[in-house]
Amino acid sequence: MSLDPVQVMKGQDPLPKTCPSASNGDSKASWDDNKDIHENVGSTKKPKPPKPENAVTIAVSSRVLFRTEKEQKVFEQKGIEEYLRYQVEHENEPFAPGPAFPFVKALEAVNSQLRKLYPDSEELFDIVLVTYNHAHVGIRLINTINYHNLFIERFCMTGGSSPIGYLKAWHTNLYLSADTEKVQEALAEGIAAATMFMSEKQIEVSETQLRVAFDGDAVLFSDESERIFKAHGLDKFFEHERENENTLLDHGPLKGFLEVLGKLQKKFYAKGHRLDCPIRTYLVTARSAASSGIRALKTLRAWGLETDEALFLAGAPKGPMLEKIRPHIYFDDQMFHVEGAVEMGAIAAHVPYGIAQKYPHKKSTNTGK
Amino acid sequence: MEDEKNHTGPLMIALQYNDLFDLDSISAMTASTNTDDAVPKDRAVTFIKAVQIVNERLVEQNKTESLLFEVILIAKECSEEIKMNIVESVKYYGLEIVKIFFCKKEELINTLQLNNVKLFLSTDKDDVYEVLHIGIPAAVLYEQSDDHVLNQLKVIFSGDVIGFSEDSLDSLSDFGFSETQIETFKEAKICMKEFAVLIGQMRRKFGQENSPLCICVLTAWGSTNVCASALKTLREWGLDVDEAFCLAGAPCSPILAVVKPHILWDGGLHNMRDLSAHS
Repeated sequence: MSLDPVQVMKGQDPLPKTCPSASNGDSKASWDDNKDIHENVGSTKKPKPPKPENAVTIAVSSRVLFRTEKEQKVFEQKGIEEYLRYQVEHENEPFAPGPAFPFVKALEAVNSQLRKLYPDSEELFDIVLVTYNHAHVGIRLINTINYHNLFIERFCMTGGSSPIGYLKAWHTNLYLSADTEKVQEALAEGIAAATMFMSEKQIEVSETQLRVAFDGDAVLFSDESERIFKAHGLDKFFEHERENENTLLDHGPLKGFLEVLGKLQKKFYAKGHRLDCPIRTYLVTARSAASSGIRALKTLRAWGLETDEALFLAGAPKGPMLEKIRPHIYFDDQMFHVEGAVEMGAIAAHVPYGIAQKYPHKKSTNTGK
Repeated sequence: MEDEKNHTGPLMIALQYNDLFDLDSISAMTASTNTDDAVPKDRAVTFIKAVQIVNERLVEQNKTESLLFEVILIAKECSEEIKMNIVESVKYYGLEIVKIFFCKKEELINTLQLNNVKLFLSTDKDDVYEVLHIGIPAAVLYEQSDDHVLNQLKVIFSGDVIGFSEDSLDSLSDFGFSETQIETFKEAKICMKEFAVLIGQMRRKFGQENSPLCICVLTAWGSTNVCASALKTLREWGLDVDEAFCLAGAPCSPILAVVKPHILWDGGLHNMRDLSAHS
């Protein structure tokens, strides 16, 4: 029986294709029920999810994994009871992909490669849906996950309570949400986190290679230099960087995430896949290669980290570069850059960290670092 | 479906006295003649207080509400002195205990059945398992951190027990569960239903926000589809769920430590959690 959304919406069997019987054991399931149990039964189609402490856990909220603007409006305009009623009514209509969707798909692609090379390893990406939503929306979310063939087996629907405790319980390495406040809470707890926004324009991204791009200051590194720049201007910034060339920058909120990506990359290198590694990382910074960039590179090296490509823009706009790179996600601490990227169709995430949040960039001035 | 039955009358929950009172403080008392009352344990007290709040809110809405919680205490094998102590402590600490039953160990099951207890709560998982096996609804009184103040009664239902169909439950034997364990899960599902229907009626009297009752579903082993199945089944039984968790084999304790439930209905499945470590 093929289940396309139209048929599903007619309110027939509300369960998507991989679901067993929902009722109290009245009807026998027509396919292998063992699929629903997470143990290795030799021929199970779905592999066993890794233990949270071994995996690289990416927690995503429902609003960034899927597009829920319509539902958001219902919530904002008509309140929670109406919102939940709406969700239940539309339970069999899957949501459309949201800004984090390509990133999650790319993570799954990397996982299948990792499984081929290291079938017994638990060092994989583990994607957990951590949402503020009530369990009423649960069935719709699960239907959507199945519809898009996403391999997400873990979730927390906190029914309105803060998701931060759960992030820690899942050993979360990266949290993506549409809500800046929650992201800031996560950052305050030492969890790498970023806010994502939907854009109407979307440039195509690779389906075989995960590409992650990072801004330098206040993302990989601390906002120390940003502070100097904001307080004392460009010249002071250059002076400071020159004087401190050999002093390591302090780490920023996304350093840890780059680190775990690096660990996974090394696993591919070990099996001879350096040139065609399914993970590629980029540093995209407004620093300039000739001067202030040196400190950034030295710091990375001292940390034992590297990015595959380092792009020093010396103040040039980041948009065109991102268009070339086509990352599945680009992390920047400045909303201005994130908005610019999103406008061009690149997938960008805002890391609300550091001094830039207090002094947002004014569009009229051109930053040159 | 039993929705047609008029479910009124109290929802009786039974606690054991050694879960409510600190045994050491009781025995210390019998040693000395100093009548300091037995000290109640925080875990049980938070539960009783949470139950009281639900009752208060229910009565607020309807003064003649009959579907309220009632907590009874069961004390096995007590000396006369301890009996006195318990009665006085209950009074002293203002714990809303409707009845106290003193009985012999073998009489526990009978006592539960005779009094139409809708839920037997214990911190001892083996006790819970034994009682469930006979077909009496039983759940774990879960450990909560003492400094946690909730004005909400939190109940977790096992998504695995509810979500798996009869046949899938049988297939659990492939994963190391014994026949008896599987039978217990099936019993648990039937028991859960009765309790769920009653609690569902209570839950519906409150809105989404500010409810004194919070219903959660935790699927420790099953897939997201099993969880969806559990959510739908509960909905059929008249119970809307507030929070849902799907662990797919990840350890339960870190998540439970955040959820902090009072009542954990796991049908004995939680006990067997460590079986998955055989991978």
